[in-house]
Amino acid sequence: MNPLQDADPLQSPQYSNSESSLVLPKIRASPVASLAGLPYRRSNPSLSSLFASTASILPKSRSGSVTPTAPLVAGSVFSPGATHGAASPASTPQGSQPADEARTLILRSFVPHVGVFASADADELVQQKGLPGGFVELVRPFGERVHGKVTIRDSIGASRSWDDFGIRFTGLRDGIGVPPGGARRSTDSRPGTANGYRNSTEAADAAWLRVGGDVRSIEEVVDRHLAYAEEQSGPTDYLNHKQNTFETPIASSPFYALYLRRLLSGLPMAPHETFSHPVACVLAISSRSPSPIEELRRLYTATSTGDQRLPHWVNNEFLRYYVLVHDEDHDDISKSTSLFEQMKRHFGLHCHLLRLRTNQCVSSDEDCIRIPTCEWISASEELAEIHRREDISDPNIYLHESDAAALRTFVRELTTQSIVPVMERLIATWNEQVASRRRGISGRFMSLSKKWSPFSSSRTSSNPASSNPSNTNYDSLQGFYRPDSPEATMRKLADYAFMLRDFKLASSVYDLLRTDFNTDKAWKHYAAANEMCAVATLMTPANLSSKTRTENVDQMLESASYSFLSRCGAPFYALRTLAMGLELLKLRGSSAADDAARWATKALEMRVVGPVGEALFTERVSACYASRKGTGSMSWGSRRRKAAFWAVLAADSWVKLEKGVQAEKCLSEAGRLYGVDADGVTDLPFEGMRIFMRALSETVGALRRAKRGFDERAEEREADEETLAEDEVVEEISETLDKRPHRKSLVGIGAGPLGPLDTPLSPLRSTEDEPRFKDDQFE
Amino acid sequence: MSYYFTIIGTKDNPLFEHEFGTSKQGGDGVARFREEARHMNQFIAHASLDIVEEVQWASGQMYLKLLDRFPPATYISAFITANNVKFLLLTCPSDSAPSRSSITSAASARSSSYPSSATYNPTAPATEEAVKSFFYEVYDAWLKTLMSPFYHINTPIGSPVFRGRVAAAAKKYL
Repeated sequence: MNPLQDADPLQSPQYSNSESSLVLPKIRASPVASLAGLPYRRSNPSLSSLFASTASILPKSRSGSVTPTAPLVAGSVFSPGATHGAASPASTPQGSQPADEARTLILRSFVPHVGVFASADADELVQQKGLPGGFVELVRPFGERVHGKVTIRDSIGASRSWDDFGIRFTGLRDGIGVPPGGARRSTDSRPGTANGYRNSTEAADAAWLRVGGDVRSIEEVVDRHLAYAEEQSGPTDYLNHKQNTFETPIASSPFYALYLRRLLSGLPMAPHETFSHPVACVLAISSRSPSPIEELRRLYTATSTGDQRLPHWVNNEFLRYYVLVHDEDHDDISKSTSLFEQMKRHFGLHCHLLRLRTNQCVSSDEDCIRIPTCEWISASEELAEIHRREDISDPNIYLHESDAAALRTFVRELTTQSIVPVMERLIATWNEQVASRRRGISGRFMSLSKKWSPFSSSRTSSNPASSNPSNTNYDSLQGFYRPDSPEATMRKLADYAFMLRDFKLASSVYDLLRTDFNTDKAWKHYAAANEMCAVATLMTPANLSSKTRTENVDQMLESASYSFLSRCGAPFYALRTLAMGLELLKLRGSSAADDAARWATKALEMRVVGPVGEALFTERVSACYASRKGTGSMSWGSRRRKAAFWAVLAADSWVKLEKGVQAEKCLSEAGRLYGVDADGVTDLPFEGMRIFMRALSETVGALRRAKRGFDERAEEREADEETLAEDEVVEEISETLDKRPHRKSLVGIGAGPLGPLDTPLSPLRSTEDEPRFKDDQFE
Repeated sequence: MSYYFTIIGTKDNPLFEHEFGTSKQGGDGVARFREEARHMNQFIAHASLDIVEEVQWASGQMYLKLLDRFPPATYISAFITANNVKFLLLTCPSDSAPSRSSITSAASARSSSYPSSATYNPTAPATEEAVKSFFYEVYDAWLKTLMSPFYHINTPIGSPVFRGRVAAAAKKYL
């Protein structure tokens, strides 16, 4: 998948086959990596399997029956659908495919969160299987994609099946994010930091890692992946560098996809949005428990009033789901079944009996599978994982096939029989009781809090320091609405609708909320409502006239990003808004692609991204412009030159980051768009452009040569080491495998001066340059 | 305030380039572009041709007004002549030229070096009128150059007389 790896047939088997830990490549620090200041120690197969995810980061399946890339009526003269019978630019296959993936990414990132709270003995049972994180860690990978189709009924009663529905298991209090020791540099102000520390620091660390929302660690993760790709790309020589560079257009950069994914992973729990608030909570006990029913009651009390109580801006009336983990190897099933019957009598239908084996499974066992890796881990968690795998060669944990099947059934049952119906019911109730009143005639003129809140008067009187003393439910001192206030309920309604993919309802409710939050001056809520309203509007598969788009969506994105950044100082959310907005606009094609490019530029302007993000977003601007196809034989209305220009800028940024491979890719893309051939930039009419492009390609060539030179030096060193330590068989094997590509690169050096991008001045070009700007003094 | 003016031929080839500064508000008429602006201006102008080629069909005017901007503060106005030759004027309100480094440098640099960009409004009627007058004056001069029997169409203009006229027009209006 990754062209950088696959391009080298001799190296690829070594890395793609992560099962064989036989071949350990040696410690190799490329100059690129050392310049980037990365502590590189080694790259072992398990680590490379982690990095290989950049290649296949996006889900390949199309989501449901939605076709989002509909042609639009746009403001441009060249927009299709007006008078020309030309095909819509968005319906071209190469335009719609990656765009669809971005939409799927957003679909799959806002899913119901399920808190997990397991009793000590249940955690212990799982730890015996080799998972130190306990029950959460066991169920988490299985929640990412619910097995089979999930049918959801929307607010107007139409059912639709999705086969990529997922839920996110988290520790119950994970999203609150208690920094270990409070020493973490966060780019974002986190609410609820003061609300209670965990007892065990280790657990707190793990929980903290699971929270995303830190732009800096996202940058770091992507940088790691980049450095790895850079290192693994192998010496690109004269023979194969062309296939390398032209294989993937920058429009579908796996690193950008990774950046987006990490941006949308591990949403922190915050008062202004309820996506990461638990929709349900799994209370798990094991069959080892001496008094199981008492234990369950204890867990329940802990989540509702005890130390596991969430901060009071979280609605605490979520679904409790009771799970009995049965130890298949040691306990008696008949006892567990009778206990389960008893549970059902006590707690109702939301119960499950999960039968697991406790014997540790090893990879040599017959029916074992590797525990799947989580796709939706937060950036800091991935970083920790990378660090861990740099030390341990094969950290994979294996499960019995029967366990995996049991877990899949559990997740499916939990989702289809409990979570989705409960959410559907709540949406219907809230829609009827709260939102429809607001939509009525009188509701239009009156904000929610003024009319329907029974608490509003009492609370404002008890809160004299409030900046707006009018009757509002907004607690401006602490910055949240109480969960029982109509605004909070509406927000929850909209979020639930969004998570169940009923975007029409969601966007209409968000739209109502925007005005309310604005009058209450609840800026973070206001920004969040704007953000999600824009996203939900863009997610609706229906066509959007360019007028609505420019008037509403642009305005919403604008006020969301402005409020997040300037009023609330939350750059992470601003970046998220812009990233989602630009992706969704981009896939609408036509003139929306211009807007998408504008928002990407805005993200650069607002300085919400770091250096890696800057290069990626610059690349993205280019991709946005490139995705706009012109009409007619002259392809009028295309943005070829702009795309090329931004590709050059992206190449420049990559060069600054010493990422030669990426820079080269951008540069060749720019060359392609400018219509110059790889033999030189002969066709560029402007002298300054020509000089700059040439300088850039020389720098890229120098980077490549530097790396290649280093590889050879490393090889020499390896050979020296080998003579010293001949008894190490592993080393020897790696040596023989490693050597062959370098041999080829030696040939490449011989041919180097002829390499297209290395050539400083071809004779053709030097003759071409002169007459162009020669003064013809004709007057 | 610095300006970069270029005439671009039918094959996206530059026919004429000229840099100058403002002569209004005590300006000395010298362009203050940074070193990297040499190529950046060309890149930006070249990229705006996409927009020119789209807008030219929607507008009946030869003067296409402000049609593009490049962050943080470069504004592009355009004028199109009858034989598909484009005049482009890049306006940089700040003395620091358009460059990537001005995007990436610290926020403090932005606030300090932009006293004039805050006040500059590229769509103000007075500004648009001034640019329009400039374009028409250059257009006159350009027509006369075209009529010269020694000038071949779509080739760079090297005439010092023409350059002098452009400079005079710039001094007069901008």
